[in-house]
Amino acid sequence: MKKVIGALFIMTLVWACSSDSTAEEEVMIPEENEDVSFERSAMLINWADNIIIPSYAAFTADMDGLVNSFNTFKADVNESNLDALRASWLNAYKSWQHVEMFEIGPAETVGFQLNMNIYPTDNEKIDGFVTTGSYDLSLSSNRSAKGFPALDYLLNGLGDNDTDILAFYSGNDQEAYLQYTEDVLLDMQSLTATVVSDWTNGYRDTFVANDGASSTASVDRMVNDYIFYYEKYLRAGKMGIPLGVFSGSTLPRNVEAYYEGTISNDLFLEALTAVQDFFNGKHFNSSEEGESLASYLDALNTLKNGEDLSALLNDQFNTAENMILDLSAFRSEIENNNPPTSMLLAYDEVQKAVPMLKVDMVSAMSISIDFVDADGD
Amino acid sequence: MNKFFLAIIAVAGLAFTSCSSEDDSLELSPCDNCFVDFEVPDSYVFTRNGASTVSFDGQTTRIKMGQELLSNFNIQTKTFDELNGMFAHIEGEVDFEETALNESDKSLRSKVAASADYFSTNATDQAIIRADLEGFISAQVADVYPNWEVAAAAGQAGQLADGESTRYVNANGLEYNQLFAKSLIGSLMTDQILNNYLSTAVLDEADNVANNDADVVEEGKDYTTMEHKWDEAYGYAYGLNADQANPNADLGADSFLNEYIERANADSDFEGIADDIFEAYKLGRAAIVAKDYDVRNAQAEIIKENISKVIAIRAIYYLQNGKTKLEGETPNVGGAFHALSEAYGFIYSLQFTRQPNSSEPYFSKEEVDAFLTQLLADGENGLWNVEAATLDAISEDIAAQFDFTVAEAAE
Repeated sequence: MKKVIGALFIMTLVWACSSDSTAEEEVMIPEENEDVSFERSAMLINWADNIIIPSYAAFTADMDGLVNSFNTFKADVNESNLDALRASWLNAYKSWQHVEMFEIGPAETVGFQLNMNIYPTDNEKIDGFVTTGSYDLSLSSNRSAKGFPALDYLLNGLGDNDTDILAFYSGNDQEAYLQYTEDVLLDMQSLTATVVSDWTNGYRDTFVANDGASSTASVDRMVNDYIFYYEKYLRAGKMGIPLGVFSGSTLPRNVEAYYEGTISNDLFLEALTAVQDFFNGKHFNSSEEGESLASYLDALNTLKNGEDLSALLNDQFNTAENMILDLSAFRSEIENNNPPTSMLLAYDEVQKAVPMLKVDMVSAMSISIDFVDADGD
Repeated sequence: MNKFFLAIIAVAGLAFTSCSSEDDSLELSPCDNCFVDFEVPDSYVFTRNGASTVSFDGQTTRIKMGQELLSNFNIQTKTFDELNGMFAHIEGEVDFEETALNESDKSLRSKVAASADYFSTNATDQAIIRADLEGFISAQVADVYPNWEVAAAAGQAGQLADGESTRYVNANGLEYNQLFAKSLIGSLMTDQILNNYLSTAVLDEADNVANNDADVVEEGKDYTTMEHKWDEAYGYAYGLNADQANPNADLGADSFLNEYIERANADSDFEGIADDIFEAYKLGRAAIVAKDYDVRNAQAEIIKENISKVIAIRAIYYLQNGKTKLEGETPNVGGAFHALSEAYGFIYSLQFTRQPNSSEPYFSKEEVDAFLTQLLADGENGLWNVEAATLDAISEDIAAQFDFTVAEAAE
């Protein structure tokens, strides 16, 4: 706890210092908004109908595909079915990166993000549950034993090679391993169904109708959730924490999909694309764009040091993406380089978007940031 | 953000500036008293013939015992005897990880509700309060541990999600580790400081004044008894800070009073309160060295007022924080109950506060008991039924006794 506070304190200092050192920077916002015609409701409709709900629909289909692959594997445990199951897992995990940021409304109610993707997973707890057959996956204390990271362990981490892993699903404990894997999958499928059905049966209209400008309005809340996701789950969770940015020493065990070992950067890129697409209001699985944070900034004519803030943000996302494309898998970057300089440099580019979002963008939109470092104790 | 940064610098700066420089820059601080005809050091360093006269090992030991008990409170395999052994340690028993704690003759329980001013002739309340603290431990073991792997609900002990954390509550939604820790801040630290070691009944007991006037030190020690009593009051606030001469450099070093002085100070409405407390400790101690008991007593009153204020600020803060978390489209029940459990402990601690220049707490035991009853009385299941109006009413009643508003404390 104290270490966290210390780290946050240092981060605060570093951040404050860096903005101090460029004190001449100016964010230009038109003094009066009378010339600005931007419909927040049009943006909410675009978010809900063209991005959020279609992303959930695609994720639902990929979750169903994952469960189907498991059923095939369960019926006939062999290497090729294991490979197919892993491919479906990766497909769904990538699809997940497009919905993970929407922790609002139905997702927030069930704690979707924390129920689906807490890592590092608690492999010892999973071993214990498989052995005893006694567990309640709905309990919050068991979130570290389920979701995608638990599947990573169950499909990739039980043994050193495929033969060893398959032995768990065909040996004496076959039933127990299949049962636990199935329970994890059904829990994920059921949570997803709840969230999606709540969105399509009522919450979509509530979300779109709440089109005002206040701390409880949909835009203000979504923007807060979006920035919180970017800062905490994308920047820190997927890169900064395993890099040791906050702890002082690297934590390779904390990369996403640790056991698979080679896909954490792919998952990151998928998530970064989703973040950028959302920023630009890009329709899911289409090149069409609608009203968005970017078009909102443009309507406000927001400039930073004389440059268009929405273009600066897109440039920053692109720079970060290109840096990450040049990296190896995160786990090997961290395990094989001391310090992992290339990945740290890429992390810096991811970080650079944070003040642009959290300070410049929200001040232009008159949105206040509602998340602070929580109590923690 | 820049403003926040400047505030940090200002606070950090204050911690390192001397008394005399503060006289120029601050209107209202204990250093109004700095125009004294004796020397006041920049940090809490006092010596006699080259040797330090500051000592508060016993306080550090007890805070460490509290820390270890707290870190074991939510391990569901612990027994009552194991936890209670840390609360009511007996010299030589192996209750702690740390050997020095096991060898110590100190215990938390023996100093709970044990101040000279409040409890020397009130064994009844003392016994009730000690039983309350022990009750939090026994109920944790008896009621919550067996329901560790159960989802909590109204009338059902078990666990609740609070963001990434999991909270473990009783059937009324109360978290016993919070009740215990925050009640200990009042019943041990605050009571010992305000109503014992800063009391003239203790400072001036027996021949303390004559001995201090004549620099008669305790046998085998470098300090007079009066100096030592004052330092013991200091130790309950700063016993775990890395540099005990400059504790504000790493305020928040324990999970008890020290941490919550830091939290109160971090609210811009109360910025400087940590410095006020520290400066009063330092000046009062220098006054003892200078045998100026009027200045000493004035500092004691400043400490009493400000530490009492810290307790009240945090009680209101958590009541309001709990209220906020229960509001909105997606209430955070686990987070709210966590906050309200902290509030419960801070309210409990109000009975150990001390109004300056008075022999009375800001709230009597009866008033505190009434608040706690009120907090849990909106329905059959305690916090599961609590209403915003109740949380506001208690907050307002507490704030009314102080010079700040609910809104200021709630930030």
